[in-house]
Amino acid sequence: MTGGLALDCRDVTVRFMSERRAVTALEGVSLALEPGDFVTLLGPSGCGKSTLLRVIADIIAPTAGAVRVFGEAPSVARQRREIGFVFQDASLLPWRNVLDNVRLPLEVGGRRGAVPVSPEALLEMVGLAGWEKNYPHELSGGMRQRVAIARALLGGPRILLMDEPFGALDEITRDRLNEELLRIWRETGTTIVFVTHSIYEAAFLARKVLVLAPRPGRVRELVTVDLPEPRGLAVRETPEFVRLAAHLRRVLEGL
Amino acid sequence: MEDAAWRAAQRRRVWRGRLLPVAGAGALLFLWWAVVAYFHVRPFIAPAPEVVAITLYQKFGMLMDNLAPTAIESIGGFVIGNLLGIGIATVFVHCRTAEQAFFPVAVFINSIPIVAKAPILVLMLGNGLAPKIAISAVICFFPTLVNMARGLEAVSPQAVELMHVLSASRWEVFWKLRLPTSLPFLFSALKVATSTAVVGAIVGEWIGSQEGIGALIIQATYNFDSALLYAVVLCGSAFSVAFFMAVRLLERLVIRWEAASGH
Repeated sequence: MTGGLALDCRDVTVRFMSERRAVTALEGVSLALEPGDFVTLLGPSGCGKSTLLRVIADIIAPTAGAVRVFGEAPSVARQRREIGFVFQDASLLPWRNVLDNVRLPLEVGGRRGAVPVSPEALLEMVGLAGWEKNYPHELSGGMRQRVAIARALLGGPRILLMDEPFGALDEITRDRLNEELLRIWRETGTTIVFVTHSIYEAAFLARKVLVLAPRPGRVRELVTVDLPEPRGLAVRETPEFVRLAAHLRRVLEGL
Repeated sequence: MEDAAWRAAQRRRVWRGRLLPVAGAGALLFLWWAVVAYFHVRPFIAPAPEVVAITLYQKFGMLMDNLAPTAIESIGGFVIGNLLGIGIATVFVHCRTAEQAFFPVAVFINSIPIVAKAPILVLMLGNGLAPKIAISAVICFFPTLVNMARGLEAVSPQAVELMHVLSASRWEVFWKLRLPTSLPFLFSALKVATSTAVVGAIVGEWIGSQEGIGALIIQATYNFDSALLYAVVLCGSAFSVAFFMAVRLLERLVIRWEAASGH
C-alpha cells in the first residue's frame, strides 16, 4: 500500500540509447516522502537527479520500477495538476508579461476550476507585486525564477519539483531565494523535491538529502537533516550545520 | 549641468547619424554629374542625374501607371508565396513523413533558376497578371518555408517539457509556444521576400508583358532611352524599399519582446 505517501519511488531504473550505446541514467533508486516533506537530490553531474525529477513529472517513462504520486500514476497526477515544475532556466515565454506567464497554466491543458490562490496573490507571495506588466527581458535572473515559482504554484500543486532552479544565479541572490523558498514552503505546505549540486543549498533547505552517485545514477545514502525549523541563513554558521555539510561531502565522495 | 552637456552630445551624435548618409549620397550624385559632364558621356550610355530627375518629373504619371501592375503582382505573390511557406512549414513540423517526402522536392524546385522557371509558368498561366504573381510567389516561398520550419523547431526543450507537465495539447503547444517562437524567424524571411517578390514580378514581365516596371525596362533599353531606364529603376527600387519598410514596421509592432536584444 502506498496510501498516505506523497511520493513513492521503488527501484526506478532508466536506460536510454545514446550514440549506439546504452546508458543507465538511474539504477534501482527508491525514495518515499511524507506529505509536506522537503527533500533535496544532491549529486555531481551525470548522477541522474534531473532524470529522477522527470520520471516523477511523467516527462520520462522509467525502464523498470514503479512511481506513485499521492497514490496515483505520475500521468494521472500530472493531468490533475498535482505536479508543479520549476526549470533551471525559468522557461518564461518572452512575449508574455509577468502576469500572463503566471496565468499560462489556466490557458492550456483543458478547462480547470477556479484556482485556490489568484495569480496576483502568488506574485505577491514571491515578492513581485507591482511587476505584473513587465516582460521577462526586463527582469533579473532571480526575478525570473520567482515568476517561474509563482507559475508552478498556480492551482495549488501537491508536489513541487525544482530542477536546480537557482543554479545559474549569483550566491547572494541564491541565499535570499533559498530563505524565501523555505517561507513559501511553510505557507503552502506543499511537498518539495529540489535538485542541486550545492552541498550547502541541499543541507540548508531540506529535511532529507538523497545523495546520489554517478554512472550509473544510484543512491549513496538518504541523510536526515536534524536542524531546527524555521531556519534562517544563520543556521549555516552552527556546528551542527558544519558537521552535516562535512558528512554530506564524505557521502558524496563515497567515503 | 553635466546631464545637459551629455544630452547635447547625444543630440549631436543623432544629427551626425542623420546628416552623414545624406551628405554621402549628395557627394556621389555630384560625382556622377561631374563625370558625365567632364567626359561628355553620351546620353544613351549614361544620363546626367538632372536629366533623370526631369524624366521622373515629366513622365511621373506614366511611371506610376506601370508601377501599379508590378506592385499588385509582387504583393500578391508575396502574400500567396509566404502563406504557402508558412502552411507547409506547419505541416512539416507536425508530420515528419511529409517533410521527408516533400522537402527534397522543394529544394529541387528552388534550385531551378528563376529565369528558367518563369517561361514555364508563363506557358502554363498565359499572359495576364497570374504568371507574374505565380513567379513572385515561387521565389518567396522557399526561404519562408525553411525559416518558418526552423523557427517552429527553435523552442527550448524545457519549454516543451513545461507544456507537457501542464498537459497541453499539440494544438496548444503550437499556438502558445511554437508559433510565437517562430515569429522572429518568419519576419527575417519576410523582409528578404519583399525584394525577391519584386524581382520575381519584374522577371515575369520581361518574358511577356506590355506594361509594368519589367516591360518598361525592356522598352527603355531597346530604345537606348537611358534617362527613362534610370527613372524606371528608381521607381522600382523606391517601391522595394517602401515594401521592406512596411514589413519592418509590422515586425516592430508584432515582436515587442525582443526590443532589448535588438534582434
